[in-house]
Amino acid sequence: MSAPETILVVEDERQIREAVVAALEGEGFQVCEAGTAGHAAVQAAGRRPDLVILDLGLPDRDGVDFIRDYRAWSNTPILILSARTQETSKIDALDAGADDYLSKPFGVGELLARVRALLRRRLPGTPLPDPLIHFGEFAIDCVSRAVSRNGEALHLTQIEYRLLVFLAANPSRVLTHRHLLGQVWGGQAVENHQYLRVYVGHLRQKIEADPAQPRHILTEIGVGYRFEP
Amino acid sequence: MKFPANTALRPLLIGYFWALVAPLLETVVLSPFYLTLDLSNAALLYVLGVVVVAIRFGPGAAALASLIASLCFAHVFVPPHFSLAITEPANLVTALLMLSVALLVGHMTARMKRTADYAVQRSREHAMLYDLGQGLAGAPDRQAVIAAARDFYSRLLDASNIDIYLPEDYQDEQADISKQVRECAERREIISRPAGNDRFHALVPLATPMGVSGVFSFEVGSRRLGSQDAVQFIETAASVVAVALERAHYAEHARRSELQNASESLRSSILAALSHDLRTPLTALVGMAETVSLGKISPERQRHMLEGIRDRALSISQQMTKLLDMAKLSAGKLELNTAWQPIDEVVGATLQLVKAQWKEREITVDLSSDLPPVNIDAVLVERVLWNLIENAVKYAPANTPIEMHAGRVGETMEIEVCDAGPGLAPETMDRIFDRFQRGKAESNLPGIGLGLSIAKTIIVAHGGSLSAHNRSGGGSCFRIVLPLGTPPCFDTAEAAS
Repeated sequence: MSAPETILVVEDERQIREAVVAALEGEGFQVCEAGTAGHAAVQAAGRRPDLVILDLGLPDRDGVDFIRDYRAWSNTPILILSARTQETSKIDALDAGADDYLSKPFGVGELLARVRALLRRRLPGTPLPDPLIHFGEFAIDCVSRAVSRNGEALHLTQIEYRLLVFLAANPSRVLTHRHLLGQVWGGQAVENHQYLRVYVGHLRQKIEADPAQPRHILTEIGVGYRFEP
Repeated sequence: MKFPANTALRPLLIGYFWALVAPLLETVVLSPFYLTLDLSNAALLYVLGVVVVAIRFGPGAAALASLIASLCFAHVFVPPHFSLAITEPANLVTALLMLSVALLVGHMTARMKRTADYAVQRSREHAMLYDLGQGLAGAPDRQAVIAAARDFYSRLLDASNIDIYLPEDYQDEQADISKQVRECAERREIISRPAGNDRFHALVPLATPMGVSGVFSFEVGSRRLGSQDAVQFIETAASVVAVALERAHYAEHARRSELQNASESLRSSILAALSHDLRTPLTALVGMAETVSLGKISPERQRHMLEGIRDRALSISQQMTKLLDMAKLSAGKLELNTAWQPIDEVVGATLQLVKAQWKEREITVDLSSDLPPVNIDAVLVERVLWNLIENAVKYAPANTPIEMHAGRVGETMEIEVCDAGPGLAPETMDRIFDRFQRGKAESNLPGIGLGLSIAKTIIVAHGGSLSAHNRSGGGSCFRIVLPLGTPPCFDTAEAAS
């Protein structure tokens, strides 16, 4: 059995931090804590965690700035904890390189599920070694650019294909509208949210059993999309 | 009272000119007939001329015309012809008679004309004042009164550079306002001075029995201030404006205190909601937490109680969210962050949340396949759908399904959230969207009665409507109607990429 993964919890509210730490330790993770961004930077450099859980409202520094600095040298997954009043900084944090978020108040069950999902894909954004992606009854062959359902070929347009591959290559990760537009369409298109919505609509029609209650391409209202395999 | 001297010298001179010329012209026309024309007929023709001059140019001109006409008459028609010498005493009497008749008729005519003119002028002024009164009666606030008064002065008095000073303007010692405005308000009289170009600058106090409600400042043509009547008219108009201004002031005052009362009652509703609907579950929380910490109950009951604590706390957190939403929505202008998007996306996201909270609850969704995109703030509309579903979950029995439909109806999109619960009591129907109204007062269901009110506020801000009705087969239905509009065209062809 491999060594337990280390998780850094950055949260200034002592009680929330204690609850999160207790829950994670209960699941067998190694946990280190920080109450400020300054302490968190020291811990991140010294302990090299496998995952960072970060509260956006830190006393000494803006959480978004912390993410930018951290992303300069590390691609460790970051899970944000945000209060409802921080809607916009939540999007900024995701754009800055955070991988997922939880709005307070959150349940411990949900927190653990997100942590496990993020740890499963340890290296976000890097090219996948396996050119074959499987999810549900679908398979994507990135070499021949073919998508099939139960072995039967599924026709996708070029944009739909690119969108699906990018989503599927980043499972369980919240991808903001800006991020998706920049990746799939290119830099000029980042404000054209309706393009994205229309193509996500098309894609859902083709891969979801019930497009109104999607199983794979989930909407994060006001933020972006999340792909669940 | 200061008003400019009568400067209408030109029309006066023209009058006297015609008074001089008219009888002479008449003489030139009539003189060929001096032998055939009867003396009295000639005299009458001259008097007719005097009447015309009197009507046109007033009493002074009429008197002059009478004199000239009499001389012409004596000169041409009274024998000896073409001489002013009168030989017969009877002819002298005729000439003098002619003079006095011409004077008398001329004077009377001029006076009647003036009275008629005056009456016409007054009736025109009354019509103007009536118009002004009508315009002011519809003005809901001081701004509207000022706008109506401005319009009146510029349109009917041909005034320019219209300004109005309100008491708060000139009572402020620091304000950069001319001394004359203060003087005008203090002495309650019109102050005018020449502004060049045959125009006068006037300051008119807007005086009412209660005080001076402002000072009007404008420039008008000199003839508008040229007579006592004209000045009186301006004063009357000013007092009409003043009364309207005062009425508007008190109306604003009344509205403000009404608003204050409303916010006062809102505050007490919030206090009531907080004290009952939040304190009760908090009391339970404290009780359960202490029981658990004593460690004297079975692990099974302990686990059960801890779950209870979690559920109660989550419920309180949701009430807090609603209170914050409401505070945000009532804080003033609601700013929508709208974008064109398919409604299924918002419905899907809401259902995701609902499923996470109420795993067992059956929710059926029926969306037409041809739904056009709508221009909405997705985050807020999601709150609306969530609140409506939460409402249905709370009030309808757990084993009954909740239904959601969306379809296009003409130029609108209708979204319905229906349940098979007890339905809405008819007597509460028109109050359910009010703040802090609950389906069942003092019920043990968690909530503070804000969900529907928030939903309605959000939908109305989108230019839509939210209504409720009972279904014929039992249960209630909430219907959202959103305007469709025209989505921006954009090319979805792959070539565009």
